[in-house]
Amino acid sequence: MTTLAQEFTKGIFKENPIFRLLLGMCPTLAVTISAINGLGMGIAALFVLLGSNIVISLLRNLIPARVRIPAYILIIATFVTIVDMVLNAYTPDLHAALGIFIPLIVVNCIILGRAEAFARKHDVGRSIIDALGMGIGFALSLTILGIIRELFGAGTVFGAHILGTAFQPMAILGTPPGAFITLGVLLGLFNYLFKRLGIE
Amino acid sequence: MNLMAIIFVAILANNIVLNQFLGICPYIGVSRRIETSLGMGMAVIFVMTMAAIVTWIIYNVLLVPLDLIYLRTIAFILVIAGLVQLVETILKKTNPTLFRALGIYLPLITTNCAILGVALLNVQAGHNIIQTIVYAIAAAIGFTIALIVMAGIRERLDLANISSMLRGAAVTLVTAGILSLAFMGFKGIVTL
Amino acid sequence: MRDNVRMVLTLLIIGAICGGLLSMVNGVTAPVIEARAKAQFLEALQGFFPAVADSKVTDIGGEEFYTCYDGSGNLMGVVASVTAKGYGGPISYDLAVDKGGAIIGIRIKSHTETPGIGDVIEKDKFQGKVIGLNFADPISAGVDVDTISGATVTTSGVISSIRRVMNIVGEQFLGMEVEKTEVDLTTVADGTYTGTGRGFKSDITVEVTVSGGKITNIVVLEQDDTPNFFNMAEGQMIERIINAQNLEVDMVSGATGSSTGIIKAVFDALK
Repeated sequence: MTTLAQEFTKGIFKENPIFRLLLGMCPTLAVTISAINGLGMGIAALFVLLGSNIVISLLRNLIPARVRIPAYILIIATFVTIVDMVLNAYTPDLHAALGIFIPLIVVNCIILGRAEAFARKHDVGRSIIDALGMGIGFALSLTILGIIRELFGAGTVFGAHILGTAFQPMAILGTPPGAFITLGVLLGLFNYLFKRLGIE
Repeated sequence: MNLMAIIFVAILANNIVLNQFLGICPYIGVSRRIETSLGMGMAVIFVMTMAAIVTWIIYNVLLVPLDLIYLRTIAFILVIAGLVQLVETILKKTNPTLFRALGIYLPLITTNCAILGVALLNVQAGHNIIQTIVYAIAAAIGFTIALIVMAGIRERLDLANISSMLRGAAVTLVTAGILSLAFMGFKGIVTL
Repeated sequence: MRDNVRMVLTLLIIGAICGGLLSMVNGVTAPVIEARAKAQFLEALQGFFPAVADSKVTDIGGEEFYTCYDGSGNLMGVVASVTAKGYGGPISYDLAVDKGGAIIGIRIKSHTETPGIGDVIEKDKFQGKVIGLNFADPISAGVDVDTISGATVTTSGVISSIRRVMNIVGEQFLGMEVEKTEVDLTTVADGTYTGTGRGFKSDITVEVTVSGGKITNIVVLEQDDTPNFFNMAEGQMIERIINAQNLEVDMVSGATGSSTGIIKAVFDALK
């Protein structure tokens, strides 16, 4: 039996959804044009993951196995819609920046994956820890990617000017090719780091 | 809006994978061999078109008149999941050959965000039913082209001497970046 | 059998709870979203007309035009919420025109132009060229508004859209006459006509021959534009007008000023 601490940290390092499992790549590439967008997307996904993990874990003995997938999709879609509405009402700028990728959290493989692989087999406590670990791992990865792209693509981090006026922004990092290349290089870098640190 | 412009923009200038980041997971997962990419592409063209038609009808006939637009995410994803299941069952019974060819890709498609993404983009853009169908087919063709091009490159990359750190997903992403750069060149030729 | 009933029931119950929950959340957030949209909209209008108190919306061809009034009901100007064709896709923007027909502000709302190139339309470098222009100005790329080099498609797309919007605003809301470039050839009797139009830096005078309801010949009588550019425009524009038998023809790129002048002169001759 893994300890709770291990359950939590596995999502951040060993089973990091983006850099280790390569899940949820679409929003990762699309919204990380700035650090704040990355963080916002990460928090939105974290909320959905937490909600769906709790509910699915609570209902794990009530949902018949054969209809579990449609039931999970219903539950996840409900949380996604709530996030969509709340963001639209209280953080309109972020809502506009994330756009279509908010409803697309529904098909983010991480969420359904955790429901199927973890929440339906474990109690609520462990499911919450698992969701927090995975969600924070996802949010952290998105924020890192966002910081890198914003810093070199616009010279700012979270909107604050860091690199001064002499810095000529590398505009390509703000474009789709920049997203692919940055994530690819970062992935290679993390592969190297993980190998060096002996995490496999 | 001109249908030819929609086709050009959806396939090349605004490719759903390389420019809009939809369907990245299958793009990286299934682009190892040209043969499998072709199978996946066909399945996506088929399901995406069906899904776009059905979701368009649900949205405009059911959700808008009943003032239930806020239920669109939940309605769309259920419809797509149901549709994929239905296609699978029908194909199994009526056309076993085609089922053997496409069958393994179908379950993957439910969580392909390109399908839901295109359905949402269609209602967001206010397309009519003809534009919806044309856009869905063109977007799916764009997906297939991007997939096959990538598979062709990856078949050769297998023989290349790449650092073990970059092997697999990392080098695929960098390659996708360069491809995306090439597709950016189509921008501005036709404007909507 | 019992299993099936249980399956359907479970799904139905979950569905019902989800639906109920969503309609509850929607009940809370929908008014907030609406109120915010309204406040944001008024704020946007106030950004252009600080003293705006009331506004009225008119829908023309799917685009919205807001006429703004001050506290005592006097017309202050018009804010048009419109779209232009850009390089990467549609560009949606607000254009504010005061009641005298002068552009007092432009705000880009969304665009998909290339970062670092086409997004110049969001900056003062481009917006400064547009603000202050009047309805009576040509507002034509290369004539009185320079495009930004490197972003020609984007900027000229916005400029030609502004001209189109200015025509609608001027005609529909401010009671101004739009200079028409259409001529009804069927109403023109056979004969030769002369007319004058302003070219790049001089007045251009042309003689137009009409026979059988068709433009058969155009001769330039007088002009003092830059020779190289004018010669480029002259040959091609005359050919284009005679081929098209109307004045809705493309300009010769690089010689837009002279091209416009020729069109204006022909129009002047035939009107």
